[in-house]
Amino acid sequence: MAAWGSTHLSMGRFKHPGPGFLPFGLGLCLIILSLILIFKNLGRSPFPLPFWPQRTWLRPMLGLVILTFYAFFINHLGFILTTFIFLMIWMGLIERLRKKTVLIISLGTTAALYLLFVFFLEIPLPLGFLKW
Amino acid sequence: MNELFGMFQGLISGFGIALTLNNLTFALLGALLGTVVGILPGLGPAATISLLLPLSFKIGDPITSIIMMAGIFYGAMYGGSTTSILVNIPGEAASVVTCIDGYQMALKGRAGPALGIAAIGSFIAGTLGVIGLTFVAPPLAEFALKFGPPEYFSLTILGLLMASLLGGSSILKGLIMIVLGLLLGSVGLDPISGAIRFTWGFFLLQEGVDFVTLAMGLFGVGEILYNLEKELKTELVTRKISHLWPTLKDWAESKWAIVRGSFIGFFVGILPGGGAVISSLVSYAVEKKVSKHPEEFGKGAIQGVAGPESANNSAASASFIPLLTLGIPGNAAIAMIFAALLIQGVQPGPFLITERADVFWGVVASMYIGNAMLLILNLPMVGMWVQLLRVPYAILAPIIVLFCCIGVYSVRNTVFDIWIMGIFGVFGYLLRKLDFEPGPMILAFVLGPILERSLRQALLISAGSPLIFFKRPISGTLMGFLILFILFQIFMVLRKRRTGIKEESS
Repeated sequence: MAAWGSTHLSMGRFKHPGPGFLPFGLGLCLIILSLILIFKNLGRSPFPLPFWPQRTWLRPMLGLVILTFYAFFINHLGFILTTFIFLMIWMGLIERLRKKTVLIISLGTTAALYLLFVFFLEIPLPLGFLKW
Repeated sequence: MNELFGMFQGLISGFGIALTLNNLTFALLGALLGTVVGILPGLGPAATISLLLPLSFKIGDPITSIIMMAGIFYGAMYGGSTTSILVNIPGEAASVVTCIDGYQMALKGRAGPALGIAAIGSFIAGTLGVIGLTFVAPPLAEFALKFGPPEYFSLTILGLLMASLLGGSSILKGLIMIVLGLLLGSVGLDPISGAIRFTWGFFLLQEGVDFVTLAMGLFGVGEILYNLEKELKTELVTRKISHLWPTLKDWAESKWAIVRGSFIGFFVGILPGGGAVISSLVSYAVEKKVSKHPEEFGKGAIQGVAGPESANNSAASASFIPLLTLGIPGNAAIAMIFAALLIQGVQPGPFLITERADVFWGVVASMYIGNAMLLILNLPMVGMWVQLLRVPYAILAPIIVLFCCIGVYSVRNTVFDIWIMGIFGVFGYLLRKLDFEPGPMILAFVLGPILERSLRQALLISAGSPLIFFKRPISGTLMGFLILFILFQIFMVLRKRRTGIKEESS
């Protein structure tokens, strides 16, 4: 916990002239509060140990990787393909559902999302080469 | 007398607005969605409303979109109890205490009466809450017209402090969240001089961090990542639910719990920083204290279901009061509705009731209707909702994340915002992991600009003297409360420490 508080310290030192009045005050508050937190937890283990028992970090990590993939490729591959791949990977890899289920749900969801966002709400999503 | 007449007139015109086919449909949609997210664990009303914020551009009319979002908020209070009772997992945060006695009742084969009394209590309390809203809000707004920048500053500070105290596990962590939220709120152009702050050279950050992006990252993605760690299994106690209508004995036992819960919920709901979650905890504690058989609590006492479930509903209605009269949201879900109003170009505050009477009365009237809809949705149709618990989280999670991505993208049509959301997602995940509450942070983020503007305006008025916050009567009273509050907290901490030392030495 204490380590967590200290990571914010660097954020607290920015000061801009003029309009920096409140942010500077807040930064000061943050430094003080973090110090109190560190002080309070002094001598105690900084993290609830083990922080990630038994590889529990794996699934959130995978989720994050897929999300990054989505942000990275949506402009290149287009909304439809990226969404489909996203769903396939998520349900196939993280949740390990049956392949047939994954395929059907991915297809259905992609179609439903396309209808909802592109057709009804007319949001200009990037369509990539699947444009029509 | 004249004012009372005005209120009835307003209410009648409000019903005229709420009863149009379009608004009725969206009220029903909100109630349905609210029930669904209430029932599904791991998805709360705040996250859902943030998901729908981009869509509110499309709905167009502010009244219609707020009617729907309000429906989601109080609808979730109905739905949450179902999961608590049948699965022993709170469907959403305000139903945590319902697990204790509700689940025990279900184990004893009394799932039906538990669900029934929760729905009926919710309906009674919800309606009482809206009645309170109808009659308390207009005079309060009139009073708030006297508020200047110093008063707003004092009020916001008080609200933020209360939120940090009531919100989470530790006061210190709550305060840190608030300061962080305020700092995040100061990213972008400075509201008074137009100077650029904290953009780190990113042009797209000049407009500030977008509320939708932050909310979806913290509540949507952050929550999903956190839930991915543990496998959420929803196992139902019983498939068959019978005797939904409580017996005369159940009714006699719980009717005063419902009334007490309604009042507790209403007063906790009005408080800045208060809300449904705390009210249900308070109500449970009160019921246990009042009861002649406190030993039954934890073993399936019906009052332990009726009280908290009533309290969270009337708190949900009451928390609209500070939003609609002062323009100050009291909790995370209401902060979302605050953002939705701003997106639609309606400024929440003391002028709302007079200048946009249609918005105020339309939404209030829709809440009467919405509560009636929810009673019907939750009593005879509860069996249908229970089936929803069978949809595995494995399928829901990726779809929710997709919704977040597309929603964030659609606000400004940039992929940049998806990245920012991802970063906030990781941040939200780590916060949950480290036992920080993201709720106060989002509240501080929304209130940040109000706080900064009122602080600097007040200091301009007083030519730099901070005494202005203490000299003006209303602001002075609020500051007095604030100081009393802080002193009380320090006293409590000191007393705790002293008794702690005594115990150690003895």
